[in-house]
Amino acid sequence: MRSSTILPAAVAAALWLAVAGCGGKTGAAGAGRVDTHPLPADTMTLALPELGAYGGRFVIGQTGSPKTFNAMMANETSSNDVNGRLWASLMDYDNAAMRDTFGLAKAYEMSADGLTYTWHLRRGLSFSDGHPLTAEDVLFSFEVAYDEKLHPAVQDLLSIGGKHFEVSAPDSYTIVTRIAQPYANMVGTMASVRILPKHVMEAPFRRGEFASAYAVTTAPESLVTSGAWRLKQFVQNEKTVLEPNPYWFRVDARGRRIPYLDELVYVIVPDQNTAALKFTSGDLDALDQVKPEDYKTYADGAKAGDYTLYDVGPGLSTNFFWFNLNRVREATPGKRLGATQVDPAKYRWFSNRDFRRAVSMAIDREAIIRGPFFGDAVKNWSTGTPGNLTWYTPEVGGYDYDPAEARRILADLGFTDRNGDGFLEDTHGNTVRFTLKTNSDNNLRKAIANLIKDDLARVGIDCVPAPVEFNTLMTNLRQDFQYEAILLGLQTGVPPDPVGQGQNTLRSSGLTHFWNVKQPKPETQAEARIDSLVEVNLTTTDFAKRRAAWVEIQKLLNDECFVVWLPTQIIKIPVRNKFGNVKPSVIAHRILWNIEQVFVKPHAGRA
Amino acid sequence: MRTYVARRLIQIVPLLLGISALTFLLLTLAPGDFLNTMAENPAISPETLEAMRRNFGLDRPVYIQFLLYIGNLLRGDFGESFSRHQPVFTVLRAGVANTLVLAVAAAVVTWGLAIPLGVWAAVRQHTWVDRVLSFGAFVWLSVPEVLSGLLLLLFAARTGWFPVGGMHSLDWDHLDFAGKTADLLRHLALPAIVVGLIPLAARMRQMRASLLDVLRLDYVTTARAKGLGEGRVIFKHALRNAINPLITLFGYTLGALVSGSFVAEIIFSWPGLGRITLDAILTQDQYLVMGAVLMASTMLILGNLVADLLLAAADPRIAYD
Repeated sequence: MRSSTILPAAVAAALWLAVAGCGGKTGAAGAGRVDTHPLPADTMTLALPELGAYGGRFVIGQTGSPKTFNAMMANETSSNDVNGRLWASLMDYDNAAMRDTFGLAKAYEMSADGLTYTWHLRRGLSFSDGHPLTAEDVLFSFEVAYDEKLHPAVQDLLSIGGKHFEVSAPDSYTIVTRIAQPYANMVGTMASVRILPKHVMEAPFRRGEFASAYAVTTAPESLVTSGAWRLKQFVQNEKTVLEPNPYWFRVDARGRRIPYLDELVYVIVPDQNTAALKFTSGDLDALDQVKPEDYKTYADGAKAGDYTLYDVGPGLSTNFFWFNLNRVREATPGKRLGATQVDPAKYRWFSNRDFRRAVSMAIDREAIIRGPFFGDAVKNWSTGTPGNLTWYTPEVGGYDYDPAEARRILADLGFTDRNGDGFLEDTHGNTVRFTLKTNSDNNLRKAIANLIKDDLARVGIDCVPAPVEFNTLMTNLRQDFQYEAILLGLQTGVPPDPVGQGQNTLRSSGLTHFWNVKQPKPETQAEARIDSLVEVNLTTTDFAKRRAAWVEIQKLLNDECFVVWLPTQIIKIPVRNKFGNVKPSVIAHRILWNIEQVFVKPHAGRA
Repeated sequence: MRTYVARRLIQIVPLLLGISALTFLLLTLAPGDFLNTMAENPAISPETLEAMRRNFGLDRPVYIQFLLYIGNLLRGDFGESFSRHQPVFTVLRAGVANTLVLAVAAAVVTWGLAIPLGVWAAVRQHTWVDRVLSFGAFVWLSVPEVLSGLLLLLFAARTGWFPVGGMHSLDWDHLDFAGKTADLLRHLALPAIVVGLIPLAARMRQMRASLLDVLRLDYVTTARAKGLGEGRVIFKHALRNAINPLITLFGYTLGALVSGSFVAEIIFSWPGLGRITLDAILTQDQYLVMGAVLMASTMLILGNLVADLLLAAADPRIAYD
């Protein structure tokens, strides 16, 4: 019977396919790169732990394809991760040391009044096509950043006291910025303005087509960049391949131009689980988002495998929840102006500082650390987490676990169990119950919410966790205010300056001032004080003064318990041993921030 | 026949408009919009969000947005993706091609296995071969695509025999033609198996039933009585007639495979339409979702049209004019 041969034939074909590809993994490219372009007059020599050799590639996973290579218009992580390598700014940031470093600028001076900064551009800089990079390009980049119609997100960082910076260029290598009042974040801000090639981008800008310029369909050879890397290949939803910018200005101690690697490859993976599989099978060289429950697996794997699990300490992302204290700011049918968004009875509890303190004291944070975090988390009481080298305030603590004290406070407030159902009632007989919403795609937050429910039940509060879809949560949070409490977290930008980056959260007028957004004027004394402290922090360059203001902000926030703080995860990152100069950090991008320094160790492939 | 095809093609237009209206309505009813994805970034101010909302036209009333969209659509303009600042058509083009590659490969798997296995089961009716094949087919039918996909992905990671998702290996560009073909086939194998095996059980049983019907007919008995070998009776006489009803199913299956490949695309990081659509839905990239739904619908409709045309071509009794 002929048909009986079909199945074995199919198996044989599958085996052939499998076998045919086994030899397909080619290793690192050769180390024979010859630097043909002369170095710029003003190079920047990096003191690297190890002097590297040329060649090889680094492969990392990305859960989404970059959407644009236009640094000004990029707004989400996948684009920012790639654009961060393609573009350079006057200043840069050292993630490991958490301090500003020089970029395209080699020096700057601040005037005595703190209002004028003079930036000195390196001489001999070029874009990735060899075209000189001068002050003209910096001016152009600022013009784009300030464009009202485009309104790039970076614009928010580029004003102080509601006024834009005045930017001028007395000569090709000098840029002068004048500001209306001293600005603490001035130097850090200069790292966020990516320098664009005027000779390429000006024409589309004048034509009003800037937003779609440097789309992902741009041919790699016509994508002119200012960063350490340039685009080699982009295949939508498959991969993005970068290669070194042959005109880059950074060199190692021998005067050899970096990046060392021949290629940096971002491979698109559907999710972190597939990324983990691809790391295990050797397709990826590192993972930047490992869940705490998997740390042990990787730690065990690292002993036997060819990678190291780097413990980079507490992360900078926070977890917390808060109660809805918003009021109706625009009257709509059924909603009176100034009425509370939640049930008035619940508003009475939520707006009471002692109630919030009691809630905070009912939560067993150590159990949360042992549970959902598998022991890999630390207590945190601030947006400047213990992982923040500059802004962590160990002297500030919050209302930690003390269930007896929580019960006492609740009793003092008149909450007692009047009907014997195990839950407290207020003086009007309302059961103390609230829903705690969080985003359903985040398993960690859901697990934390369930522990909070148990903890609060022990002091007589009925908390109902309600996971909802992320977009619904955002609508609840900012538009319809249909929630009682929300559990969420905040990520940190670069630099991790909690006031500079977090103004919208701290100011009572801010859109992300979660518990009571966009207040026309501060509703509580504490918030009024925080507003003025934010102002002090932002408008002085004296670090001691900035820090004093920050400490007071933290004390006020913890004293008032506007947010109930939860633990912060410890970050661990697996990276293959064959790479040298690997220095993972807690700040994005955790692995690639110094990828220009990373190299493949000689003979590493054979280990 | 030509007027029939023309009529069917013209009917597609109101159908697609209906689908667009429904998709638009559902997107509008979903909470939030594209700008929500920026909400966790405290560095973006309300003014910036307002300016973006204005730039994207999201500040206009919903019906105006819809009418503008339909107007543009009729002129062949699918709109622009919010996140990519690119025409929707450009974003989708590559994805559509990749989805078709997967769908065709899956069709090969389905039919390449369904026909011989169906024939085998029919000629060995009521034997252990028949029972094992039926049992196996139904077991696979009851395994959800997500589960079979994940299991095969795990299999690939553990054995290293197949790549863990993706469409090309990193060295694709340095391979010669034979190498590229082998590389593509290696990447195609697992997703094509996952997608192709979904309709296998049904197609195999159809092939078996159809052949059994034919084998009972008088002319088959006659052929056997004349002393023809069993192989000749089955492959030369019976199979040709038995396969006729399956030809029409082919077109429908192609359409179904396109939609069936969406889940597999996401599991296997296949850079097709499914992946782009999911991305677009998660970020509420409105016009990209609309465009992707339209593309998928068009492929499904065209698949059905092909099915009807194949039917007419295979069976002289059917004429559409």
